[in-house]
Amino acid sequence: MNPSASSRTFSNFIPLILGVLVLFAYYRLEFIQHPTLGSLTYPQAALERDAQKVPLFDADGNPLLDERERPREADLELSGGQLLWFAGAVLLLLGVWNVIEPRLDATIAILVGLLGTLSSAYFVVFGRTYLAEGATYLAQMGVGFWVLLILSVLLLAQLAFPRVTPSPYFKPSRLLGNQEAVLLFVIVILLVGVGILNPRFLAERNLLDILQGNAYIAVAAIGMTMVIITGNIDISVGSLIALLAVISGRMVVNDVPIVISWIAPIVLGGIIGAGIGWLVAYLRVPSIVVTLAMLSILKGGLIIWTNGERVTDMPLGYYLAQWKPFGVAMPIWFMVILTLVAIVWMRYSGLGRSLYAVGGNKEAARLSGISERTVVLQAFALNGVFAGIAALLYATQFQLIQATPPPFLELNIITASVVGGVSILGGIGTVLGSTLATILINMIRSGMVFINIDPFWLKSVQGLLILITVLADLLRRRNQQ
Amino acid sequence: MNVSTNETIPQRSAVQQVRNALTSREGVLFIIMLVAMAILSTQNKNFLTSSNLLNQVRLLTEVGLVALPMTYIIITGGIDLSVGSILGLCAIMLGYSWQEWGLPLPIAIVICLAVGVLAGFINGLFIVRVKVPPLIMTLATLAFYRGLAEGISRGRSARGYPEWFFQMGQGDFWGIPTQIWLLLIFTLLAGIVLARTTLGRTLYAIGNNEIGARFSGLPVNRNLLIIYTFSGLMSALAAYIFVSRVSTTRSDMGSGLELDVIAAVVLGGTSIFGGSGSIVGTMIGVVLIQLLKNGLALSGVASDATIVVVGGVLVLSILINNFIQDRKNTTL
Repeated sequence: MNPSASSRTFSNFIPLILGVLVLFAYYRLEFIQHPTLGSLTYPQAALERDAQKVPLFDADGNPLLDERERPREADLELSGGQLLWFAGAVLLLLGVWNVIEPRLDATIAILVGLLGTLSSAYFVVFGRTYLAEGATYLAQMGVGFWVLLILSVLLLAQLAFPRVTPSPYFKPSRLLGNQEAVLLFVIVILLVGVGILNPRFLAERNLLDILQGNAYIAVAAIGMTMVIITGNIDISVGSLIALLAVISGRMVVNDVPIVISWIAPIVLGGIIGAGIGWLVAYLRVPSIVVTLAMLSILKGGLIIWTNGERVTDMPLGYYLAQWKPFGVAMPIWFMVILTLVAIVWMRYSGLGRSLYAVGGNKEAARLSGISERTVVLQAFALNGVFAGIAALLYATQFQLIQATPPPFLELNIITASVVGGVSILGGIGTVLGSTLATILINMIRSGMVFINIDPFWLKSVQGLLILITVLADLLRRRNQQ
Repeated sequence: MNVSTNETIPQRSAVQQVRNALTSREGVLFIIMLVAMAILSTQNKNFLTSSNLLNQVRLLTEVGLVALPMTYIIITGGIDLSVGSILGLCAIMLGYSWQEWGLPLPIAIVICLAVGVLAGFINGLFIVRVKVPPLIMTLATLAFYRGLAEGISRGRSARGYPEWFFQMGQGDFWGIPTQIWLLLIFTLLAGIVLARTTLGRTLYAIGNNEIGARFSGLPVNRNLLIIYTFSGLMSALAAYIFVSRVSTTRSDMGSGLELDVIAAVVLGGTSIFGGSGSIVGTMIGVVLIQLLKNGLALSGVASDATIVVVGGVLVLSILINNFIQDRKNTTL
């Protein structure tokens, strides 16, 4: 397994070098930093067109909309440079990874190619808007534009470079070799497609909103993925999140220290999850039945307890999800870090591997000395912990905590796992897939708004896309067999 | 003729039969239901009156109708999460085709039923032909059909139906609510089909061992297609009754129905893994849940809180049943 130093060739270092170049370009090339050229101002004609659609001011110039709903001038600016910065940073990480672990070369090549597409899209958007204004932009910006353009073409082209161990079986179709790659492709296609139709979609604020909006669902989907991989399911998680959120809120309102009311839902979630796991693993009640009952018990219990009253007036320091370290909201940090930790844990730890073993083949797992009961119990307990973290993010994101779970929350979480490529029969799937799926689903919703699809059709398009993604996964698996 | 053996053997088997019937999953559940009714009737004297009970049956008809095909589907090891959304879509189609297209109401009802059949057929077709797991397929159509209902209705509701339309949901027939007749007929038919026909027995075979059923030459695909289509039809019928009962059409009708129905079916002793279950058990499950909700509400428990008890009863009855069935298997 340990790659020897001699197996590294020049091509291993390509992503790393490209990443350094892109970051260098971002910081050194003047036109990106330049205020008028770098952050793309939305064309005046389009602004006026939008203003006609949603009148912002009445005849006397008084604002018609609430301050929060009105698009601010800053929102309308595109800082495509941020996109490039992001691409460069990820590229750098991938590059380091590629040098450490050369056998993942093909996967990284795909990811790098996608980032290349992303930065190319930036130029399409960038250039198109200015050409539409008839500006002499291309003449102004000089050599920097072409350097970056060539870089992104190189990023794409390196897909064709010979890899470390050129496999005779390598075919272009393998680029879509797993569900995670498919999801990434769809995400990039959406970014490019919708971004060209409406550049505001690519605005930094919108992209961060897309990531942030469903981050707590992604966190809960990590636990759900583990449960489904063991061949079980949890449909009570939506009610559990709502209950834990209210518990946390009520604690802090009743003068419990803030840190304790942050930790309490996580601990409680773990305990309730372990209880469910005990019923499933030791009393042999099917998980769908236990969690169906728990759904009723938790939801009803929440309503009895709160009388449907929401929690308000939390102290100021409580709103963890509103913090923005390094300009990125807390839920996004949680989502990214927890996903990475879970990926590593499920791939390399003993318990992580035994989740797959139990879900894939119970008998074989038993014969290799894995206790199925313990593993299932632990999967449910972990699911409870992740539900607790999701509840923490959910509770601290707004000024109030609703006493009812958001509608269809558990279905959204299960959908994220399933679209992420987790087999409902157990044994297959990754946390990366479920997180990407959560992002994709929110991106679809946001994208539809940006290309003016009637909001009443949102859900049906979403259902259709879920179906298509799952079908693609099924067909691909069949072809591989 | 040997008289003594002829007399002793039937006697012993009769005792055994009674004991078997009482300790079967349905029997245990029936006893639980009687106990629950006894307790609830001591709490409130209005509970055990015929008018209250008939009214309750009126309320459980929709869940009962959809629970029939759900029993079939769960027996085959599948599941149908899209029933609530199909109900919503059919209700919208009923109101929309009548109000927006100006069609006569009877034709609108036919359209409503046809849409349900089509929706169920699409589910079945993908499950059978493309081999999408039922949970995933119906999860996708759960969103898709509900989305269609929202898109078509655009958030508007349809009202103002003529008087005769309410006969189904609010009227009586021979002194008993109309929809109860319908529920009785369908329950009887569904029970006979499941217990006494090749189609019904094939469902058990599929649930126990699908590959085995295929190799035995059973028409697995055809039967699966039939039951998912049947599920769509029953959801559409439930939509018609629902609209007739509440006199209006909205796109969020029936959301959460799938969980009520699955809870009733599972409570009724149908194994979620497939291979066992019965219509009798399902109907006891449906009735038990409704009686619990109503009895608790009459005793002054907030209506939202009753679901806690329903959830508790669900787990307890399964645990009790598992315990009794285990004991039976070890002693016999």
